[in-house]
Amino acid sequence: MPFPIKIALPAFLFALILTGSSAFDLQQDELKFVVPQGWPKPVYNFTKNRITADGFKLGRKLFFDPILSRDGSTSCASCHTQWSGFTHVDHSLSHGINGRKGKRNSLTLFNLAWNTSFMWDGGVNNLEVQPLSPITNPMEMDNTLANVVKKLDTSKAYRTRFFLAFGDSAVTGQRVLKAIAQFTVMFESFNSKYDKYVRHEPGGEMSEQELNGLKLFRQNCESCHNEPLFTNNSFQNTGLAVDTELNDMGRMAITHDFHDSLRFKVPSLRNVVNSYPYMHDGRFHTLMQVLDHYTDGIVESPSLAKEFRKPMILTIEDKQDIIAFLQILTDKEFLFDMRFRDYRD
Amino acid sequence: MLVFIVLQEIASMPGHCFAQVEPLKKVNMFSRSDTDKVLFEIVPVFNGKPLQLSKQYYVNEHGDTLYIDVFRFYITNISFTCNRNAINKNSHLFDVADSSTYDFLLKKIPPGHYDGLQFTIGVDSIDNTSGANEGDLDPVKGMYWAWNSGYIMAKLEGHSKVCKTLHQAFEFHIGGYMPPNNTARPVLLKLPASFAILEHDIPCITLKVDIAAWFSGNLDISKINYIVTPGKEANEMADKYVKMISVDTVEYLRCRSQ
Repeated sequence: MPFPIKIALPAFLFALILTGSSAFDLQQDELKFVVPQGWPKPVYNFTKNRITADGFKLGRKLFFDPILSRDGSTSCASCHTQWSGFTHVDHSLSHGINGRKGKRNSLTLFNLAWNTSFMWDGGVNNLEVQPLSPITNPMEMDNTLANVVKKLDTSKAYRTRFFLAFGDSAVTGQRVLKAIAQFTVMFESFNSKYDKYVRHEPGGEMSEQELNGLKLFRQNCESCHNEPLFTNNSFQNTGLAVDTELNDMGRMAITHDFHDSLRFKVPSLRNVVNSYPYMHDGRFHTLMQVLDHYTDGIVESPSLAKEFRKPMILTIEDKQDIIAFLQILTDKEFLFDMRFRDYRD
Repeated sequence: MLVFIVLQEIASMPGHCFAQVEPLKKVNMFSRSDTDKVLFEIVPVFNGKPLQLSKQYYVNEHGDTLYIDVFRFYITNISFTCNRNAINKNSHLFDVADSSTYDFLLKKIPPGHYDGLQFTIGVDSIDNTSGANEGDLDPVKGMYWAWNSGYIMAKLEGHSKVCKTLHQAFEFHIGGYMPPNNTARPVLLKLPASFAILEHDIPCITLKVDIAAWFSGNLDISKINYIVTPGKEANEMADKYVKMISVDTVEYLRCRSQ
């Protein structure tokens, strides 16, 4: 006989309070890293950092904890929110402590296991050491890894978590970084409508406009934003006028090679509708502005990508179709994946 | 007379270990089973004179008076050579400001005669690209670049009146692992002909590190005083300081028989 609702509902709520976040508590089998069919082999070396539920949960806690910043105000999640594909929506440049402003638009975070480098200039060579950049950048968290380790080491809750994740309670820089990597490497996006279309699955039925958009996309964008990752991990100069206040030379700052002047990482276009604004400095707020730039706004310079050396010709209808296609790269299963929420646990 | 200090724990690299860098608790704890060990002592000097941070002035080859404030460098992949050559995966970070880094113990070296000591000043390219490492290679040590990944192989900071910079500082953070600007430098030093790792005795090799080498080639610090990114200048500096280390003395510590 069913419980009267008057009892059942409070009982259910009470049970929810008792179990807290454990309603979504992770089991090891929920943390299977998937290499989707037809995708290349991941670049990240999982053998040196095996993903465990405790390691993942420690990484998740660190990702959402402003303890990483010098004044305890800013967390990774401050500029990387899940529903936007882990970027900072509506903020052209990333923010840091004391309202400081960085010089670049925060990148999306997903499918990181396939990244051959990190940051807009590719200066970071491994997912595990990537968090060092925001942690130490004076415009972002303005901290040191040594300080982070010291702070975490004074927290009994954290030491317990390091014990669970690594077998003893020692807090080290290496472990902080490996734990964060265990969390972020699991941000996988491969269940958009486009993916279902490619896999011939239900829900992958594309409209005529979307199909035409895909055709135009393959003709005009595919050489850099190639499927299935929608990036070829290269650095390109896409003909943007130099912002004379930011004077960002891009990849050249890393390689000192003038050929790399004004070249920036080709970002993935998965979840692109949710991750506005666009380009390394967030100068465009809509995808139409981006496409208008590619057809009408290219600024010539010696390092300009060869693809832009001859004009890209797209009608307004073509652009609308491409945008219709880009919309189906939104992966709601990823953007609302409960494993990546902040549980304050 | 050697002075030994309790060493903080230096984790070794599991998985590749042939020789290991071990924490040295107390030198008197050596026992008969310690026959496969070699103790290293690092003595930092400037032109042969003992190094004193920030207080003592020194004169470089160019004739400029200067003070040293920070000096740290990596010694890695230490091995002993004798016809054959075994590269051992190990790493030690020397920091002139941290007395616990002045000594370190190398373990698991097969007993025998050796004629050469080989190591790298810096960190090899594999460790530069393999993510977050442990022990002395932990980025927490402040010898890892955040925005342009890679280790700082060696770091020398100081000040001099001839530097027209903020606080008259000169700053050399030498790193870079990618050719043509790879700053890791192999070093091969000759050992005394009698050198051997034998039972009952632990060799103690004193390495003299002369910072004056950084300023060789008549380096003018009024002009070159700030190198903090990989590149040609860093590469040239690595070529200078590669000559800073020499074998000073080898003593044998008799092990306590039990």
